Amino acid sequence: MQASRARLFKEYKEVQREKVADPDIQLVCDDSNIFKWTALIKGPSETPFEGGVFQLAFAVPEQYPLQPPQVRFLTKIFHPNVHFKTGEICLDILKNAWSPAWTLQSVCRAIIALMAHPEPDSPLNCDSGNLLRSGDLRGYYSMARMYTKLAAMPKKG
Amino acid sequence: MDHAQLGEHFLFLDPSQNVAGTRCGRWSVAVIFQPLSSEEVARHRCCAAGKSKRRCAPILGSLERGLGKSQGVNGFLHSHQTGLRNFLMSQKGRDYVLGICDFSLEWRVSHSTSNSIPDPVTTRRCSLPKTMQNQDGVQVDGEVESATSVPTPEFDEWANFGDQDIMQQHSAIRAEEAEKIPFLGDKEPLSSLAAEYQSGSAILLEKIKVLGEQYAAIRRTRGDGNCFFRSFMFSYLEHILESQDQSEVDRIKANVEQCRKTLQSLGYADFTFEDFFALFLEQLDSVLQGNEASISHDELILRSRDQSVSDYVVMFFRFVTSGEIRKRAEFFEPFILGLTNATVEQFCKSSVEPMGEESDHVHITALSDALGVPIRVVYLDRSSCDTGGVSVNHHDFVPAGSDLPNASGGSEKVSPFITLLYRPGHYDILYPK
Repeated sequence: MQASRARLFKEYKEVQREKVADPDIQLVCDDSNIFKWTALIKGPSETPFEGGVFQLAFAVPEQYPLQPPQVRFLTKIFHPNVHFKTGEICLDILKNAWSPAWTLQSVCRAIIALMAHPEPDSPLNCDSGNLLRSGDLRGYYSMARMYTKLAAMPKKG
Repeated sequence: MDHAQLGEHFLFLDPSQNVAGTRCGRWSVAVIFQPLSSEEVARHRCCAAGKSKRRCAPILGSLERGLGKSQGVNGFLHSHQTGLRNFLMSQKGRDYVLGICDFSLEWRVSHSTSNSIPDPVTTRRCSLPKTMQNQDGVQVDGEVESATSVPTPEFDEWANFGDQDIMQQHSAIRAEEAEKIPFLGDKEPLSSLAAEYQSGSAILLEKIKVLGEQYAAIRRTRGDGNCFFRSFMFSYLEHILESQDQSEVDRIKANVEQCRKTLQSLGYADFTFEDFFALFLEQLDSVLQGNEASISHDELILRSRDQSVSDYVVMFFRFVTSGEIRKRAEFFEPFILGLTNATVEQFCKSSVEPMGEESDHVHITALSDALGVPIRVVYLDRSSCDTGGVSVNHHDFVPAGSDLPNASGGSEKVSPFITLLYRPGHYDILYPK
């Protein structure tokens, strides 16, 4: 418990320092609980998520950093590796490939990379995965774009 | 047809995916966010003419409901089977319910599949517009029916089963297993090993007998993928505790500093590994007697069984190992390619740094080199020698550079003070007589 707190505090300081370095990620710690974080990440360019801003919620376990944080999308997203309802993310580093060498910040970067490079063979969103697996890029793009417009972009008047 | 507008959706048969000679192709719904040129629209045989002016907004709610429910079955989308009239999909060579708003929707092909639509009220059968009728004439076959069968309710249940639940179940199973064997067992006479194989392979029993000539005891570690590191940790600290070898401690501390620099130069942020380094150095200091933090042998065992201490030290070794492998990537690369198909960096990320990843020759070599600690591994397996006699093989991992002048032939000089027993998939600690 104490170890995870100390580590998170270091990450907090690091985030303050790196803020300018990575304009695509805005990682914020809950005011009253250092085990709760949220992040705003920008959808990567040349993907259907471009122009969208996606919110992630982090729940950090007490055994952190030996155990990975739980991360999910709060913003609706149509992506093969994100559960459409719960926002749960299927990403190896959040499961068995986790190591303390990762940080909350680098997890955000990994999620951005996942948005740009979906893994349709291990889908949490089968509809999305099936579109890609059947080669229907246009269908995938359209759906993903639609949800980006609807959920991750400011509403137009 | 008019220029397509933002927000319109189109049903289209992708001409490039049309399966030649069949009525089938791949159908999709596209929601237009960038207006298409009229040629492009024509190219996709958009047939929503006249009805396509609707904004997509009214259908979104139902789309969403459909998506939430659907769990692809046999690789197909079955969203339509929730009874939504407006839904998509495409699958090579299959006909699907497709539909948008007033299109209602269809089973393009088959007249016989109507009863598989679960909700006849919201799913209205109707013909697709002329232009969408398949170009090759409708033929109905049984295959189509099977492809569009209704998903059973169990799929809904699976939909509620997240990775999180699976991981929780995994850790519960692990915790249960962990109850049975501590991270580090008690010292047992070698006969306990023989007892394990009583009704087993004769070769193994013979080998254990041979082992008994040189080794007195065994100390088991938990088989959770970290056994090599835990064995190494205890064995090394126990050696320091018993030998009080100050010069060895000074030497390894210098190596640890080197490892720290290695990780920094590889781009690891200090705060990701410094806690693990600090904890190891703390253990090292505490086994040296004569300062207020000194601990007894019993205390060392207790600490080695404490999850937070043991895991942190394991993680320290994993960082050190990973750093060494990446620093000397060109040396390790051929071995890694022989093990997996991964690059050195992928290997470190997936097979060295994560807890619970088992150690192989590569890991041991790297750790031994990085810390400058020789390690003897005794192999207990069913292999037997050609001569018919039974002997127990061992391999000494001698740190590169520890005896530079004759590194190739001089390994005899170094005698490892750490001896581990390897049985395929697991390491324990051995105590020489």
